[in-house]
Amino acid sequence: MAVLDSISTGKRSVADRPPPVPRKRYPKWATRAPLLPALIFLIIVTQLPFVATLVISFMKWNSLDPAGRGFAGIDNYVNVFTDPDLRSSVVNTIVLTASVVLISLLLGLGLALLLDKKFAGRGFVRTMLIAPFLVVPVASALIWKHVLYNPEYGLFNGVLNWLGFDAQPDWISTMPMTAVVASLVWQWTPFMMLILLAGLQSKPVEPVEAARIDGASPFQVFRYLTFPHLRQYLELGGLLGSIYIVQNFDAVFTITSGGLGTANLPYMIYQTFYQAHEYGEASAAGVIVVAGSIVIATFALRVVSSLFKEAK
Amino acid sequence: MAGIGGADTTGKKVGWGLLNTVVVIYALIPVLWIVSLSFKSSKTLADGNFIPREWSLENYQNIFSTSEFTRALVNSIGIAIIATAIAVVFGTMAAYAIARLDFPGKNLLVGVSLLIAMFPQVSLVSPLFEIERSLGLFDTWPGLILPYITFALPLAIYTLSAFFREIPWELEKAAKMDGATPGQAFRRVIAPLAAPGVFTTAILVFIFCWNDFLFAISLTSTEQSRTVPVALSFFTGSSQFEDPAGSIAAAAVVITIPIILFVLFFQRRIVAGLTSGAVKG
Repeated sequence: MAVLDSISTGKRSVADRPPPVPRKRYPKWATRAPLLPALIFLIIVTQLPFVATLVISFMKWNSLDPAGRGFAGIDNYVNVFTDPDLRSSVVNTIVLTASVVLISLLLGLGLALLLDKKFAGRGFVRTMLIAPFLVVPVASALIWKHVLYNPEYGLFNGVLNWLGFDAQPDWISTMPMTAVVASLVWQWTPFMMLILLAGLQSKPVEPVEAARIDGASPFQVFRYLTFPHLRQYLELGGLLGSIYIVQNFDAVFTITSGGLGTANLPYMIYQTFYQAHEYGEASAAGVIVVAGSIVIATFALRVVSSLFKEAK
Repeated sequence: MAGIGGADTTGKKVGWGLLNTVVVIYALIPVLWIVSLSFKSSKTLADGNFIPREWSLENYQNIFSTSEFTRALVNSIGIAIIATAIAVVFGTMAAYAIARLDFPGKNLLVGVSLLIAMFPQVSLVSPLFEIERSLGLFDTWPGLILPYITFALPLAIYTLSAFFREIPWELEKAAKMDGATPGQAFRRVIAPLAAPGVFTTAILVFIFCWNDFLFAISLTSTEQSRTVPVALSFFTGSSQFEDPAGSIAAAAVVITIPIILFVLFFQRRIVAGLTSGAVKG
């Protein structure tokens, strides 16, 4: 800006040049003022409650037993780590997140490679592919539960019937985890596809053409040129996806209500709080989730900032 | 597979066409199946036919005849619009500062707002429940608007600062050079350039608020402020012996329509917003 100023003042004729004044700088507070409302808001609504959680996590607090409230030390944390239900919910969270992220990344990569090719109706296909991402998540979970998995009038059994199979499995009770994973994969694939497509389209064309002229096979082009370029986009998609799927509550709540060994950590916390009224224990579990997310988020930030640098 | 358009043989073209069809079917069948179910009458609901044997609006009439759904629809629209408006105004101010001004700690701030976006919502639910109950905000509109703004703000700041970075700010200087007042420069030059970004952000934020389930189910207890996703999960059909699938399908169609419309009309911008926010930074 300073350079621009001096250039533009330099262009003026000497006669009407104003007396040299020191360049007006915004006072310090003025540069930051526009940030304040957002910042104050974020701090009040997220950090105060979090401090409250932290405090409650060290207290013995069951809302059904108000007299027994008191300091509990690290008992709640010990409980969280020794309670078999909670421990299995940690395992469930990891299984759920890892499988959804990996499968939807793979499918998303396939779709992105497909959409990166020019063909008639590409815009239409892309719009249609984004559709699952836009269906309200609860509605999508309900749809999978009632409309696809339902043993009587669900689409899956309808198709089986139509193909001549007699089997009419009850999908949710025979394979609960797979049922949840499948519905989430359907929902998250478009997200991965969008990120990877953006990656593919930002890829420089010349090296690929050069490689082709030098006789590289399509697979070699993918392996040595496309894939390395996509790696950071794959990482970004994986991390953003993990952050959201670790927190997933809608699908578990709706499809299985946490039963049949599918309760993940968020669902467990919800249940500890709203059904068992164990505020202390729920808070301790909440703090653990925050710690876990911060670990993932640190990686995410590193990836994002590396992309930042490249963009510049 | 490398994605370079070359000379394709007919066989290849047919192959791609087939592949695309399969892919579109995979994405669309569940959606079409809901639409089909929503138009089936209760008698034919379980017949497993892809195209309804008799078309009926029964399910739609059912959901709109109870206050359970209509009230929730009003709540959802009101809460999402108010939260979006506030988040976008604050977010625009913050993103303007981030894109435009240099000050120490800028990157830290962007980092912090990203961290908050990633903050697990479930760990805020229990303290918010306590706090809102003692403040009398529990089961009210503001009780949901506040947490929505919080989680929408980082998204807004992030997306908006990506857009604002692309604006050629020299134009503002040029306008001032030509004698525009700062107000005029902003209104006539900068605002039209920033509008698409702000608009895209508003749509993304709206979708975020519209879709939320966890806060909505935890911080409400009556029809007074229940939003559609929650009302949907409480659907049980008009009697307990009736399966709610028809009503759920109809309600799902109704609440997904606004979002599909947004996307059809503003597809390019939304995709740009999603990817610029997520990838360009």
